[in-house]
Parts: sequence; structure tokens; C-alpha cells
Amino acid sequence: MKLHLRYSLVWAVVAWMLIVSGNAQNTAQNTEYTIKVLPPGGPPPRLADGHPDLSGHWFPNGAGQGTSGRFGVDPAAVSTFDPKVTPEERPVFQPWALAKIQSMTPTELELSKSSVNCMPRGVPAIWLQNPYTTLMVHKPDMLVQLYEVLNNWRVIHLDGRPLPKYPEPLFHGNSTARWEGDTLVVESVGFDDRTYIMPNGWFHSDELRVTERYRRPSMNYLMVEVTVEDPKVLEKPWKSAPRRWTLGNGDVYEFYCTNNKELEELQKLRELELKPGK
Amino acid sequence: MKVVSVLTAVAMICSLFLFAPPILAHHSFAAEFDANKCRDFTGTLTKLDWQSPHAYFYLDIKNEAGKVENWSFQTYALITLRRNGTDRQLFIENMGKEVWVRGCLAKNGKERYAAAGTLKFSDGVLHQVGQLQD
Repeated sequence: MKLHLRYSLVWAVVAWMLIVSGNAQNTAQNTEYTIKVLPPGGPPPRLADGHPDLSGHWFPNGAGQGTSGRFGVDPAAVSTFDPKVTPEERPVFQPWALAKIQSMTPTELELSKSSVNCMPRGVPAIWLQNPYTTLMVHKPDMLVQLYEVLNNWRVIHLDGRPLPKYPEPLFHGNSTARWEGDTLVVESVGFDDRTYIMPNGWFHSDELRVTERYRRPSMNYLMVEVTVEDPKVLEKPWKSAPRRWTLGNGDVYEFYCTNNKELEELQKLRELELKPGK
Repeated sequence: MKVVSVLTAVAMICSLFLFAPPILAHHSFAAEFDANKCRDFTGTLTKLDWQSPHAYFYLDIKNEAGKVENWSFQTYALITLRRNGTDRQLFIENMGKEVWVRGCLAKNGKERYAAAGTLKFSDGVLHQVGQLQD
């Protein structure tokens, strides 16, 4: 009898959990988001030469508008890719490089981030770790990228000019571009060593080579894929998931970093970290 | 040669953990502010410093002894505030008025300084003005 009662109790708990779980799912399904995933739109616009026109005000999310600090945002609209749908491989570092990254304290890591120190993000980080918009102006002979963050800009020439033999280290690198069908392939070398690939300590060497692949499969979507080759730091090249940026409108805002107090605050924290006994 | 292979294998395994999702942390709230020291603040808006990368606003807040102290609060980047409708004019129009803030204290021990998460001006409308991880 007691055993029977125990089984009854177990089944009652299981049934209750199923009901609660079902209600939770229904609630999630019934949530009416005010900021949703932007549909793909019609076919992409094309330049007179037949190539897709990459011009547009591109947002680093699926919504075609700002999602940070806003209420009612569909979680599916927040990111540029869903790792469950398009898993992104992880970089495989050489032992010395991994040791260097792991030796950074949390504050050192924070201080290395361009979002904290106001250094230009550079390429390819501008496509991988940038929460602000990019306005692109595409002409047959050039692609101009106007990055909202820090008011940075970049001009990519589309005339097939070769990469320089002795590239100067630049935040956005030295680039050459070509079309492969409807994909614009941009290869770049020569990067300023103060840039990071990702804001997790992933630094690079002077042998960094970045390949960006731009596609506009529809009016509202810009797909950007990045390949990082860095034989001094990585065991093998790393390829990003296809990141989807979405077409928005509205202003591109000014962003001059004129009042950065975080460096001072973090330096104080760094001093605390270095105190004996810490 | 074998040692190198073992080191490489170890590095590969460690890489998996080091770069486990979420891979991106644009700007770590936790590095600078203490999510275990978050609380509500109510005070009078006295000043706004509207510059990039972050805005700072200042409140006169009475402490437990009844003494008025001036606190500063860090917000999101200006661009984020503009896009979510918390623009500069809202702060200007509420200067000298009461403001409610949920915020978290700085880890470096700086006094009367916090990250603002949510905020209400006198109209009671809730604004997200920064990360809030409590």
C-alpha cells in the first residue's frame, strides 16, 4: 500500500512537471515580440555590371534595427548567426599562443579590448566583434565601408590590384578583391599588431592573412564569412560561420571616443590585482 | 617530436574550453562591476556627461544618515541609448527631478560610482540604460 502511494506521488509530480513545462512552452510560443527577424526581402539589387550591389546600412543582427537595451526583442533576431544552425568551429592555437592568452588576467583581457581601449577594431574583428552598424557604399570600382564604431572607415578597391609586396601594417590591412560569381572575395595582409581577432585575447602575428567573403542573397541580407590564416599562431586556418547582417534604415551615429573613463577605472582594478596576496 | 605532439594536443583541448560558447564578450560588465552588489538608487538628477563611449549621469542621493552624496552612473554607449529611445533630451528635461536607478557598484572600490542598468524618470517609464546582471 505504501509502495503504491509512493508510485502515485511520483506520477503526480511527473504529471505536474509536464503540465508546467507545456504551459511554459505555450507561453514562449505565444510571446508577441515587437522586434522580430527581418524577412529576406526580394532579390538583391545589382550594379550596372551585373554584380550584387552591397550598398546599404547594415545592422549586426537579424532585426534590421538596434536590439541592444530594447524590450520585446525576439531572441532569434539578436545575433548574426545561430550556432545551433551554423556551428562555428573554434580556433586551434599553437601551444605558445594558447599559453600567452591564458596568462592574461581578467583585467588585462578587458584592457586589450577595442571596446574598452578605443583602438580601431580592425579587420576581421570589425565583422566579428562589432555591435554597431556599417554603412556600405558600393561602386563598380570600390566598396566603401563606413563603420559607425569610432567613426572608422575603409576603402576596398575592386580593380584587381595586387597585394603589396611589402605591406605596411594597417588596422584594416592591405586588400585585394575579386568576384567569384556573386561573391565578393577580399583578401588582406599586413595588419597592425594592436588588433585582436576576437575580444578574448586572440592576438595575431605578422603573417595574418584574412579572407572576407561577401554575399547579398536577398534585398535585406548581407552574409559575411571570414577565414583567418595565421601559421605562427594557429595550428590550422579558422573559418567563421556565415554572419548575417540585415538591412536597416535610420541614422548612422557619430561615435568619437572622447571621454573614455574605463581605462582609468580598470587600471585601478589592475593595481588591486597586482597587490601582494591577491 | 612526441613532446610537441602532446603539447599540441593539450593546446587543442584547452582551446576548446577557452573558446567555448558564448565566444563573444564585446564588453565585459563583470570585469568592471560587481553583479553581487546591485541595488536601487533614488535621487535628484544633477548633471549629464553625454560623450562617447559612455554617458555618465549624476544623482544627489541621501545616505542612511540623511546626508546628500553625489553619485555617478555609467550607461551604455550613446548609440545604444539613442536607438532605444533614451536620448539626451530626456535627461535634460528631467534635470533637477527625481530619478530611480537599478545599478551595480564598481569592483575597484571607487566610491559613489555604479553601472546603471534600468532607470525610470518621473513619468515611470522603464528604460534599459546599461547591462544589469543581478
